[in-house]
Amino acid sequence: MSKTETQLTLKKRKQNPDDGELDITPMIDITFLLLAFFVVVSKMDPQQAVDLPRATFGVSVQDKDSVVVIVGKSETGTENQIFLGRSKDPSIAVTATDPDAIEDAVAEYIQGELSANPEKDAVMIKAEGNVKVGLVETVRKGIAQAELSESRKLYAGIKEEQK
Amino acid sequence: MTDGPEDYPENDPQQPQGQGSGENRFDLSVPTGNLANPSDAARPEIEKSGTVTPDGNAQTSESYKSMGWKGIDDQDENEDEPPVAFGKKEKIPEDELDMTPMVDVTFLLLIFFMVTASFTLQKSIPQPPAASDEASLNVQQEEDAKDYVEVIIDQNNTYYVTSRGDEEREAPSETEMRSLVKDAVDTFGPERMVITAHVDATHARLITACDAGQSANLAIEVKTTDVEF
Repeated sequence: MSKTETQLTLKKRKQNPDDGELDITPMIDITFLLLAFFVVVSKMDPQQAVDLPRATFGVSVQDKDSVVVIVGKSETGTENQIFLGRSKDPSIAVTATDPDAIEDAVAEYIQGELSANPEKDAVMIKAEGNVKVGLVETVRKGIAQAELSESRKLYAGIKEEQK
Repeated sequence: MTDGPEDYPENDPQQPQGQGSGENRFDLSVPTGNLANPSDAARPEIEKSGTVTPDGNAQTSESYKSMGWKGIDDQDENEDEPPVAFGKKEKIPEDELDMTPMVDVTFLLLIFFMVTASFTLQKSIPQPPAASDEASLNVQQEEDAKDYVEVIIDQNNTYYVTSRGDEEREAPSETEMRSLVKDAVDTFGPERMVITAHVDATHARLITACDAGQSANLAIEVKTTDVEF
């Protein structure tokens, strides 16, 4: 490089004092937008406590469009219990042990939920993997007893896993 | 902290006058003496610059400066703007807020919420409505026309896969069950899958059987029984 060229480059740099300083304002704007989006979209709830069985094939169901019944161990106990709702809150656990009584309790809950929220078009059973088929079948029969569930689809919650 | 040229030590008094002003800095017409015979004079001087002695340093840096080069320690007092200082914090004017920590915290929050976001979507497998008593009558009629894959899950969580024209085959593991179902679908092309599960089998095994059927695009029926196999 000849010396006159060096001089030219130096002059150019003097004309651009901001050179090398990036304007980060748009980046901060975008970051705040993303942050606000994820704050709104994310939901903190204890539903992760349900240890769902794994499967490769899963369809996505909107949480707000479905009535949920959880079958699984409670946080304290060791027995599998049925929870009529989205959390393992002991206050919504089915206390009955007789299959017919369980069916009735589930049917009553489903019927009540679906008549209060007719826009919900799905019933979701979130059963833990180690639950016996018999208990899940009791819940399914209870759901079938509720008249309003006939037009609704029935789903079993899973955790998607690639194989 | 100011990075102005005034922070730097005074000019080396031994520097040649040609370095003093910007105008004749690159002026070749100013004789420096050292450029007269580069091969003899300049090269040994550069090699000498490797040895740093208190008094020799000044002399060597002077000699390569005279060729128009600049060393790392040499301040260019001719520039109006402060020299580019890497690793040094630039002075922020009083009226401007330093946003760097805020951006750092914001990114942390962003990553946290991205990771914990659940999107309120639940992955699930469609299930047939609960089996009623009429369903079993239906199966009786179709007993001879076995156009379906039958998967039995017994009380010990073992799979038995039966497909048309084939014997019942035991599949102790989920992988074997999946491959047996896949074989049956490839060979006979059934459209339905009937899963018969014992009430004491686990829900996870039933879901895996449903999953195998879903992957093969089969319509799924589920029956439960409390009769031991």
